[in-house]
Amino acid sequence: MSELLSLTHALAWPLALTLAWMAGELLYRWANVPRIAIYGLCGFVFGNLSSGYLPPAQADNFMMLANLGFGLMLFELGYRINLRWLRTNPWLLVTSLLEAGLTWAAVYFVSRTCGIGALPASLLAALAMASSPAGLLRIVNEQGGGGQVTERAMHLTALNCVLAVFVFNVTVGFGVFQTSGDVVHASWTGLVVLAASSGLGAALGYLLPLWQRIAGHARSNSTLTFAVFVFLLVAITHVLKLSPVLAALTFGLVARHRRVTLSPAQRNFGALGDLLTVLLFFFVATTIAWQPTAEGLMLGLLLLLVRALVKVAVCTATARVSGISARKGALTGVAIMPLTVFAIILIEQTRRSGVDLFDTLTPLAPLAAMAMILEVLAPILTQIALTGARESGFAKNKTVEKKEDQDAAA
Amino acid sequence: MPLPEFSRSDALTMGVELELQLVNLSDFDLAPASPDMLDLLARAPFPGAVTPEITESMIEINSSIHTGHGPLVEELQLIRDTLLKAGDRLNVGVCGGGTHPFQQWTERRIYEKPRFREVSALYGYLAKQFTVFGQHVHIGCGSGDNALYLLHALNRYIPHFIALSASSPFLQGSDTQFHSSRLNSVFAFPLSGRAPFLLRWEDFERDYFKRMEDTGIVRSMKDFYWDLRPKPEYGTIELRVCDTPLTVEHAAALAAYLQALCSYLLEGNEAPPREDDYLVYNYNRFQACRFGLEGNIVLPQEHRPVVLRDDILATLARIAPHAEKLGSGAALAHLGQITKAVGDAEQLRIVHEHEGSVEAMVNLALGKFRGEV
Repeated sequence: MSELLSLTHALAWPLALTLAWMAGELLYRWANVPRIAIYGLCGFVFGNLSSGYLPPAQADNFMMLANLGFGLMLFELGYRINLRWLRTNPWLLVTSLLEAGLTWAAVYFVSRTCGIGALPASLLAALAMASSPAGLLRIVNEQGGGGQVTERAMHLTALNCVLAVFVFNVTVGFGVFQTSGDVVHASWTGLVVLAASSGLGAALGYLLPLWQRIAGHARSNSTLTFAVFVFLLVAITHVLKLSPVLAALTFGLVARHRRVTLSPAQRNFGALGDLLTVLLFFFVATTIAWQPTAEGLMLGLLLLLVRALVKVAVCTATARVSGISARKGALTGVAIMPLTVFAIILIEQTRRSGVDLFDTLTPLAPLAAMAMILEVLAPILTQIALTGARESGFAKNKTVEKKEDQDAAA
Repeated sequence: MPLPEFSRSDALTMGVELELQLVNLSDFDLAPASPDMLDLLARAPFPGAVTPEITESMIEINSSIHTGHGPLVEELQLIRDTLLKAGDRLNVGVCGGGTHPFQQWTERRIYEKPRFREVSALYGYLAKQFTVFGQHVHIGCGSGDNALYLLHALNRYIPHFIALSASSPFLQGSDTQFHSSRLNSVFAFPLSGRAPFLLRWEDFERDYFKRMEDTGIVRSMKDFYWDLRPKPEYGTIELRVCDTPLTVEHAAALAAYLQALCSYLLEGNEAPPREDDYLVYNYNRFQACRFGLEGNIVLPQEHRPVVLRDDILATLARIAPHAEKLGSGAALAHLGQITKAVGDAEQLRIVHEHEGSVEAMVNLALGKFRGEV
């Protein structure tokens, strides 16, 4: 009996992952629900039912794998960013600074008004600034997205991620200083992590083309090369307790700007990326506990609403002057709703670096609620935004073309 | 719908249409950007005209009607600058080149317009594979008979235009070993190739178009994808074999070359065209596509082989007085230089060889279109 029980324990996670993947496939086909929303929902249910099933050592391995999956997506996002666009259309930068800055201010103000302390309110506000590259990129790739809403959503996401990591780390550094009085620890947690992580990413971005030339890989598909280097980078940052988010994003950015020596990477990193995606969205959702989610539900919902209103309002207000219609601007604001994976990975990474602010900050319960709601809702919103902007190539064309083929045949 | 009457247009006027690539400046792949570009361009007056093309990664620009080379270049440069400015606001690059070197046709989207949807429904995957970029040149003809005469008299010179504009050496990420692989995509369409050998407009209308219309296959001249076709509503013939060159200056020079050539042919300087000229037509066309300026063509009336490069240089010299009269000496000088040096297709191949990436080819095309390279 005990053997059977231990076998069930050992197989619970792989079985749950498989079922989540199958549910994702079926609901995507039948109801066009984004796969990652289903993975997240399954992860949340499983995580709470099987609480304590995953030993700490295995949890660390899963976190490492999740980080690898997230690293690949950040690299791809960085690789699809053109920093020169910010110079040729400065309104994009203005939009980004406004949407991230005003989101911080609005979330901070509402949190404080609702009785949350200054430090947790700042942390909540910093996390709310960002959009999750993982959620956005998966939907963009799943839908074959392309057009101004897609492009702008990706650029705004890359920018607000960097801004959020910066503000978040400064806030954490400040918090560490407040609780421990240790200036060295505080500044390491804050600025040094930022500098070292982006420096590592940039260095790899310069070294990769050299390797490509030496090995003669430049003419072939470089997906494997990119994947191996991203894995190395994430592992290094994991071990050194730096920021894999910033490192992978910078790696992609630098590699892209030296692109004349690189070949196109396969979107999503092929089957490898797909596999890690199931794991990433499932695992991240398992870490969201039911109790704080329920406790912080009302405030979480309020903060989500505030965050959404600010982002959509800013993107709409600056749309026309930056070259698109107000409608497409509003849809861009809707497309950048994803948050969960970014927020949870960032918190976990900070916890790994020895900062225990979150264990003592119970007022962060609204974050659990925000994370859970957005894990399921945000991918759907992003998909609606792309479809509304007629930028969802595959889904739309499939149905329209099928009907037209039938008409033509008739 | 009966064929419209052949409009009277001033002989030897010219107009240019260019199909251009819309490139995502982040990853250099084609971008489905024409709805956004057209939306932005509609906010201010546009010099010339700009219209959507079959897939959303393409856009077509049209010049006004011109008599001289100089004003044509100036207008095309103005159009180019307007497009580039709009593209910069949207992170969209605009460039020439007959094909995008690595785009995948499966990822293309058909532009939302009834005609494009119809074409897509009829031709299936060919519609998306038709994401290739050509230059069309219209030359005004005084009458339908003149149009048909020119249309057939020009058959011997079609390889010149293919070789001089060839800029599509890569397709779907691979070197095709052709200088112009674009024309192979056009050849897949059932109504492509050459026009039937009829020299009187009345015969063309009655003995060919009307009968084709009766079969139910065609409704208008738009259904023909011929290399050269009459355009009765404009009163022109339309040359359709050119890849879009990498610069608008080159595009204008090709138009001026065709104009001078038509002037030369209309004066009756050559033996009239015969149906037998077409015996070598497809072979010559292939040689120009495959080998560019190095192609070996067979002269249709003399049955004598000649290297395209030599034939072009000889033709440029022969029609020089007509070009001078039309004010396009500079255009012919430009083409003479290209014929002696390196064409667009070769330049793209060289950069691929040197940089080792297909993105570098797009980068070169973007820079050349901007006039920065």
